[in-house]
Amino acid sequence: MIRLAASTTLAALLLGVAAPIAALAQEVRVYSGRHYNSDNALYERFTKATGIKVRLLESNDSAIVERLRSEGKNSSADVLILVDAARLANATEMGLFQPVGSAELMRDVPLSLRDPNGRWFGLTRRVRAFVVNPKLVNPASLKTYADLAKPALKGKLCLRNRSSVYNQSLVADQLILRGEPATRSWIRGMVANLADEVYTSDTVLARDVARGSCGVGVINSYYVARMLSGQNGAADKALAQKVRIVYPNPAHVNVSGAGVTRHASNRSEAIRLIEFLTSPTAAEGFAQSGFEYPLKGFGNNPILKRFGTFKADGVSAAQLGAKAKAAIKLMADNGWQ
Amino acid sequence: MSAADHGRRSLLWPVLLVSLLALAPLLALAWNALVSGALQGVSLGSEGRLQVGNTLALVIGEGLLGGVVGTAIGWLTALCSFPGRRALRIAQLLPMAIPAYLQAASLIDWGSRAGWRIHGLGWAIALLALANYTYVFFLSHETFAASGRRLLEASRSLGVGPWRSFVRVALPLALPAIGAGVALSAMEVVNELGAVRLLGVPSLSAGILDRWQAEGDAPGAALLALAALAIVAVLVAGERLLRRRSRRWNLTGGAPQGPLWHLQGWRAGVAMLITALPPLLALLIPSLWLSTGWESLRDQDGGELIALTLRSLGLALAATVLTLAAALVLAVVRRWSPRPLVQQFSVLAGLGYAVPGSVLALGLLILGGPVGLGPVLLLLWGYGDRFMAVAKQGLDAAFERLPPSIDEAAISLGCNWRGVLRRVHLPLQRGPLLVGGLLVFVDVVKELPLTLSLRPFDFDTLAVRVFQYASDERLGAAMTPALLIMLLGLMASAALIPSLDRR
Repeated sequence: MIRLAASTTLAALLLGVAAPIAALAQEVRVYSGRHYNSDNALYERFTKATGIKVRLLESNDSAIVERLRSEGKNSSADVLILVDAARLANATEMGLFQPVGSAELMRDVPLSLRDPNGRWFGLTRRVRAFVVNPKLVNPASLKTYADLAKPALKGKLCLRNRSSVYNQSLVADQLILRGEPATRSWIRGMVANLADEVYTSDTVLARDVARGSCGVGVINSYYVARMLSGQNGAADKALAQKVRIVYPNPAHVNVSGAGVTRHASNRSEAIRLIEFLTSPTAAEGFAQSGFEYPLKGFGNNPILKRFGTFKADGVSAAQLGAKAKAAIKLMADNGWQ
Repeated sequence: MSAADHGRRSLLWPVLLVSLLALAPLLALAWNALVSGALQGVSLGSEGRLQVGNTLALVIGEGLLGGVVGTAIGWLTALCSFPGRRALRIAQLLPMAIPAYLQAASLIDWGSRAGWRIHGLGWAIALLALANYTYVFFLSHETFAASGRRLLEASRSLGVGPWRSFVRVALPLALPAIGAGVALSAMEVVNELGAVRLLGVPSLSAGILDRWQAEGDAPGAALLALAALAIVAVLVAGERLLRRRSRRWNLTGGAPQGPLWHLQGWRAGVAMLITALPPLLALLIPSLWLSTGWESLRDQDGGELIALTLRSLGLALAATVLTLAAALVLAVVRRWSPRPLVQQFSVLAGLGYAVPGSVLALGLLILGGPVGLGPVLLLLWGYGDRFMAVAKQGLDAAFERLPPSIDEAAISLGCNWRGVLRRVHLPLQRGPLLVGGLLVFVDVVKELPLTLSLRPFDFDTLAVRVFQYASDERLGAAMTPALLIMLLGLMASAALIPSLDRR
């Protein structure tokens, strides 16, 4: 038993040592907080076009940030991809990225969707939208996020829980635009309007809106797009056809984004990957696989076209990052479970 | 004994080494929490009290439900004979082999498609009991099978019926093992994150992560972690008390002979029903999901699935061997060394099980990141730390059944400690070692937070892939890797369980 244990340890040691040796070919190593399977096809296209191999480690955002931070100079990651503007801003503040100057990136990524100092660049946009059951709530009566707190929606509102990072950023967004007192009473108003306990999944929430357990919910539009596409089956498609997606005006737009890590050993390959991912051709890929919005315009996806267009409220990621903790506390203190 | 003592003293160092390795990540975390903020002014708050209350409710609810189910099935399959007994015994691993977060996600999604909302504490208790009663089953089954038959034969010859023999003879005999199983399953519950979060139950494990990572409140997270540790300490203390009160030695050298209770007619039917129900329920949830969600099933790349399976298998085998070896060292030294220091260290070494996996991962990153320790090594360290208690609980309980006189006899016949270990303990403790190995194996195959945080590039495992799909609300794609996790568990179970009979 002990001999077996010793040889197992040795084998593991060898594995640990062998990994860096194999890293001589041209490659770029990516830590990603985005979900699997939307991006793999894009990475394959990048490798085909450039000959640079993409090595991937996908995890959830907070785990991947902790890992990069504790590895410091020893980290072999070249690119860090995160979902949510506040998380990107926090990672920037921790010094996990390095500034990059690239004419291509400056051209392809609008200023509001990247770090002004070039430490990270947006890849895709997602919008915090209303999903409405028109039989219960008139979609035209919902124009801004503030409308969710109106007493007319009592017993009709469904929300996801506090730990949803998209909700946290939405509250940070409102804190920036409307200040703390207004945001506090907005949260209280919404909590008073809740039809049921908060949800833990967007798809479940969207179905309950379609069935009429809720009149209106707040979700990312791509979950409804996925239901409409038939990916979840015919029943979900039929349910999704009963709801409307309404974009508040102005809308809170969140991003997923990528930056070159501070201690990247394959810097130029890393920049090429980010340039590829932010190029207009890749944008179509993101929109097709995950129903997210490209960095510019609204894409050609027929399902997304059905949802119409939106106008971003212009709050920057750095601002969202700065208000993230205050937002969570405000939610907790005012009953958003 | 003095000559033998001399040889055993060298065993102190392995214990210290194993314990330090196990404690290091926790100490690193504590240090990190201390330097990152003053502990003053930290309070649980209403949020924290709610999380403590929910975790207690989960632990008590799951402990009672899982304890009763596990003990009943352990007794039935060990000491009664009824049609299908052997197959049903192997099938008991199924509920444990399906990750609880997948069960929760499938159940919630199926309910939502059917128009029901599955949410809250009751569902969480039921799902966690289903996922964790297996610990109680295995440990109690092993004890019932190893030491129950002869005593039962005696009680039977004195005219005691099956039911009373269970209550008066078998149950007291198996209490240490049942206690160990309940304590293990309860610790698993304290740590459970995914399923509990999906069902909307605010628990300590989620609170620790939220406070730490989302709110940046390290001292607050440390306080919650202390609350979790306190719950686990109570569990461990209770289990030890139980064990001390029912300390009995018996020697189980030969094959377990003696008759089984032959159940016939409706009794056999009830036994089959009780024994088959949990595995059927565990299979029912994904099947229910498939009945409505089959359209979203996706074709999977076969080559990739094989690679995922091989990685899961390799990691689990390596981790199982390492963990068993370390647990054996701890258990043996605990038996041989009367020093309180050794005893305490050996208890502390099991604490890794009490810490949520994602928190343990942070501790390991703090230790391993700055020195550039290979991710696979760090991962194996994490598995060993996390599942040491799983291997050790059963071994400790089994060593307590073994009379010390047997060691003394071996020594007086000229065995040194290595000889005693190799020729006496290892053969006699084959059952608990097999069971411990099986539990660790299945635990590692479905382990998520450590694997997710510590693995190398391009090194996804089955559990990682299940999580990635399920958390993106794409259950159809998660089902195939989940099925492979179940298959790995079943294969291990089918390979090891029947050998419990051959001693």
